[in-house]
Amino acid sequence: MATSTKILALAVLAVLPLLMNASTCIGPQVTSNVYTTSEASMSISTVFVVEVAVKCNNGEKDLLLFADVNGHMVPATQSGTGKFQVSWSDEHKKLPAGTYGVRFFDEEGYNAVRKEKRSGTDGSTVTPIFTVNVKHSGTWTGPYVQTEFVATCVALLVWYMAYRSKSFLMS
Amino acid sequence: MKSLFLLVVAFVAVRSDNDDNAARLLASKSILNQFIVEGKELTVEYSIYNVGSSQAYNVELSDSSFPEEDFQRVSGSLNVKWDRLAVGANVSHAVILKPLRPGYANFTAAQVKYYPTEESQAQQVGYTTAPGEAGIVGLKDYERRFSPHIVDWATFAIMTLPSIGFPFLLWYRSKSKYDVKHKKN
Repeated sequence: MATSTKILALAVLAVLPLLMNASTCIGPQVTSNVYTTSEASMSISTVFVVEVAVKCNNGEKDLLLFADVNGHMVPATQSGTGKFQVSWSDEHKKLPAGTYGVRFFDEEGYNAVRKEKRSGTDGSTVTPIFTVNVKHSGTWTGPYVQTEFVATCVALLVWYMAYRSKSFLMS
Repeated sequence: MKSLFLLVVAFVAVRSDNDDNAARLLASKSILNQFIVEGKELTVEYSIYNVGSSQAYNVELSDSSFPEEDFQRVSGSLNVKWDRLAVGANVSHAVILKPLRPGYANFTAAQVKYYPTEESQAQQVGYTTAPGEAGIVGLKDYERRFSPHIVDWATFAIMTLPSIGFPFLLWYRSKSKYDVKHKKN
């Protein structure tokens, strides 16, 4: 009797997520493609673009994703079934080289983070569906020293050495 | 009295048009490049703002002003949609392309389609701002002006070597001969 009720309870628990109709992803398989601005002359602000393709084990098709980008929550755009994109931009100085972790949430997670933020915390305790690490190698703003400057210095050095030895000879 | 009442009704009817609980989206499209160079990345950023009084539903942004044979897609998608856009919220979207040919390009507006209210059947169509015409610089011209020219400077250094090295060799030879004689004395 006890085991049959246990089995019934387990069965109900197993079926419950399907009945809830919340668009949540179980066991997501994620492939991500990341782009960050590499040259400052090609963009006046550093732009990060994260494209993800998500496949859910429960075959969820109407997934809505939100991403935590540098502290604030941004809805991910949908560019096809299971394909999402998140992009953000800021000044070059504010996005230095390094690894940025972008956490992706579904609707439940998004509401949980919003609730936490309203109560004062930063929402970092909510577990995301998945996280994408964005490696930014810095935006190149030009060489440290111009080659023309180096060439001029070498030329001046050669001239100086010649002048010194000449004056030494003449003395 | 009746005319006054009619006047008030007419005024209210006109005013209520603006206070309709509907979303209104303003969208901008801008090119973030300082220089647009053939073969180098072109960064396009779109921003959509909801200045209406209701959430916008099923917001679709589609840009067909970048033909495949002239612009290669590096990152980002040109046809995207957002499920909802809250009142007063703004979202941004970026696409990275690579121009394949130099010359003049006219950057026209992208299309934004959305449903202004949850029940509305008619889709509202709007357009982003258009960045306008801009020139795509050829790669050779850009490199001629901006690349560090390291190979050119190295070649120059090697070319100046004979005219500096030859007199230096003569002087060095005579100096070493003179030094030897001095030691002998």
